[in-house]
Amino acid sequence: MAPKSARRRQLEAAALYPLDWVEERTGLVGGIKYFLFRHVPRDTNWMQTLGAATLTAFLVQTVTGVFLAMYYKPDPQNAYSSIQHITHEVTLGWLVRGMHKWGASVFIILMFFHMARVFLFGAYKYPRELNWIVGSLLLVLGMLEGFTGYLLPWDQTAYWATAVGINLNATAPFLGPFLANFLQGGAQIGPDTIARFYSLHMLLIPGGLIGLIVLHMYLVVRLGVTSPPWSPTAAGRERPDESKPEGARQGLIRSGDGQDEGH
Amino acid sequence: MAPAGAACGSWYVVDTSESRAVEWRAGSELSSPNDKPHVPAPSLWPVGFAIGIVCLLLGLVLGSWPIVAVGAVLAIAFGYLWVRDVTRDMRPKEAPAPGTDVAPSAPAAEATEELPGFSRSIFLETATLGIGGVIGGLVTLPVLGFAVLPAFESHKAKDVDLGPITNFPEGSFVVATFLEDPSQGEVSRKTAFIRNNGLTAVKGKQEPSFTIIYSRCAHLGCPVQPGGLLQDAETKQLAPVKGDPVKLIPVKGLSNFACPCHGGAYDPEGNRVAGPPVRALDRFAYSIVNGNLMLGTLYSVGHVEGTGADAKISRYTSASPGVHVDGIERWLYPIPVPGR
Amino acid sequence: MAESKLKRTQRENHKRYKEDVKREGKPFFPYAMFHDTIMALVVVLVIIALACVWYFTAKHAKDGVGALGPLTSAKADPGTTSFVPRPDWFFYFLFYLLRVFKWPDSVFLGTVGIPTILLVLLIGLPFYDRRTERRLLRRPVAIVTAILVVLSMGVLTWKGAIAKESVGAENVQFVPAWAKKQGFEDNAKAVAGAKVFASLTCMTCHAYLGAGSSGPGPDLSAIAKGGRGAQGFADYVAQPSKFGNNVMPAFADIGADNLAALGEFLNASKGATATKK
Repeated sequence: MAPKSARRRQLEAAALYPLDWVEERTGLVGGIKYFLFRHVPRDTNWMQTLGAATLTAFLVQTVTGVFLAMYYKPDPQNAYSSIQHITHEVTLGWLVRGMHKWGASVFIILMFFHMARVFLFGAYKYPRELNWIVGSLLLVLGMLEGFTGYLLPWDQTAYWATAVGINLNATAPFLGPFLANFLQGGAQIGPDTIARFYSLHMLLIPGGLIGLIVLHMYLVVRLGVTSPPWSPTAAGRERPDESKPEGARQGLIRSGDGQDEGH
Repeated sequence: MAPAGAACGSWYVVDTSESRAVEWRAGSELSSPNDKPHVPAPSLWPVGFAIGIVCLLLGLVLGSWPIVAVGAVLAIAFGYLWVRDVTRDMRPKEAPAPGTDVAPSAPAAEATEELPGFSRSIFLETATLGIGGVIGGLVTLPVLGFAVLPAFESHKAKDVDLGPITNFPEGSFVVATFLEDPSQGEVSRKTAFIRNNGLTAVKGKQEPSFTIIYSRCAHLGCPVQPGGLLQDAETKQLAPVKGDPVKLIPVKGLSNFACPCHGGAYDPEGNRVAGPPVRALDRFAYSIVNGNLMLGTLYSVGHVEGTGADAKISRYTSASPGVHVDGIERWLYPIPVPGR
Repeated sequence: MAESKLKRTQRENHKRYKEDVKREGKPFFPYAMFHDTIMALVVVLVIIALACVWYFTAKHAKDGVGALGPLTSAKADPGTTSFVPRPDWFFYFLFYLLRVFKWPDSVFLGTVGIPTILLVLLIGLPFYDRRTERRLLRRPVAIVTAILVVLSMGVLTWKGAIAKESVGAENVQFVPAWAKKQGFEDNAKAVAGAKVFASLTCMTCHAYLGAGSSGPGPDLSAIAKGGRGAQGFADYVAQPSKFGNNVMPAFADIGADNLAALGEFLNASKGATATKK
């Protein structure tokens, strides 16, 4: 028994050595361990996996997007033919493009579902207000990703939906026309527009998304996950107070004013 | 456990380390017992040796033997000194160490003694923030200018040759499709609805008059459709000397222009008759050169009174679709956009 | 005073929550994360399945339009006069909102105004809903708002998805169905006339078998019953004022052939099968 356990200890030490090495120099392993083994309420349910689901859809978009960028050509002469090439000629190109195209819809739907869940759970209330705001900004950026990405196949639906979308911005009072000119790179959709949208779609907006996602998850970890509000064992539920009369607990007697709640 | 807990503590203020299921194993403390300076003490000999080697290689590359020779001499001399220095401890102590090798530890000690004495300096704080701001500005401003300004430079397209005016029958519309700027390619393809209004008196001379309406809806820029019978069989493809082919399709019985998106509709003069468009359809200026119809710049139209050659057009600088050019709402867009 | 009381309750509640989680909670890994991982797997599988259905149904469809739409539509043509633009599905609600604001003065309300107000309301939610209550049944305003938002978004999206405009390019697609309902499939001239009818702007004033505008002109589904005859209809359309109609514009310039076909089509529009439903 003893030699086996010694051998086991040796093996464990060997396996943990790289982790120790990284931990000693970064402290990151501790952070990850904290993330993994932090406690969450025991009554969390399936609705609370929607955030992870949204993150998954986003990761699918980043991975497929990176590889689409290897074949895609962002200029009006070649964009359409490069999409055709990806769809019909590149091995499994249809799958990567299809996953990116449909992943976008799934991502947007999941963002809405996730937001609905947070709303229904009242999980945006103190102290999670800021995370609701970050989430709202993520929704806006996600929709902008959808808008900027929609132009890139350079087909009829893409072109005209984008033309309308840009002109929508142009109707904003005062600065709208400037915004439209900036997005188009000129007075109308021109040779530079598609590259602008491409840059926004794969660099600027995703950069913002990733930053906000990190902040979003940091706040989730820091503030904790809410219990479903209807759960009888919800974390942070109100306990029957010994000092109050029996009826108050059952809601038969209105709980006292000022005096009772003061302490 | 201690360092992991410490790391967590600085990251996550709220929770505690007790809740973790797996304990971090002990013994990864940062403090090392081996903190005294390494022997041998640092010296400058390797630097000289390196310079010698560089000199030697440079000479080889340049093919200059004197430089090679100088490099070799330097390398050998400093190499010897370096080796002597490093192996000092291995040899029996015969010569006392040169005075320099104790020196480095002294200033270090002084520095650590000075540290607690540092006070917060307003000057350094402002200077650091200020320099940071300047760096940020130096990088950001040119990039922003590069991204933003070209979009507002006025783009002067050349006039487009739409061929002899005899191709445009009097009194009915022709759908003309052309490249506004062939150097930009297909992206500059545009469609205009052109009606020959016949000859009209201008300053005592009889001159041809045209109504040239751009197909972009004044609501949000969708492509409006001519409400009439397109005579596809009578399509003409013109190949001008310069530029791209121009396609002309005559239309019969045109009674309106309709937008397929949000229900905008216009009469044949381009005035809004239904739906959300905020102004009349845009028009192109034109000129007639050697009997050919030349398409000029685009302009926006508030309203057209009258028809054909007699039309009174309230004309404005070309604006985005959805932007009011007249009436009280134009004060929503008071700043003129350059480059339009 | 009330403010500080709210703050105190909030802090006490959160403190109690933290204590409860520490005492009664479960480690995120593997208990909660297992569910997350299953969900992630489902998401990835759904995305792959959508991509496969989209590709394989479109590839084997004759017209290239599969169960989830075409692989791409035609290449962008900025000079088109026949394309009917539509946005991606998740902008349908905005698209229909634009159609709702059909007056020039209100355009910017639909384009920028309402979306901006909604966005501000959305972002500001935690700041105007400040009660600590989380149970749904005790948040009637929230529940009603949620239902209204979901319903209106659903209706707008649905209306946006089915929105059609009475323009030639869309109306022409009705022609085969008309021919079938009216029973003039074999009459080539009438079918040609139907195409003229659909391409011209007739349907901005007339309804035909439920499509087009209900006014100011009459519904033409059963116009043949007027008994004008093919030539009579052609003459009428060419110059309505001759027949005492000063509202309808003249269409003489579409040419005798087109007028004759149009007359034939109107004469074949008996509306018999259409009225039976």
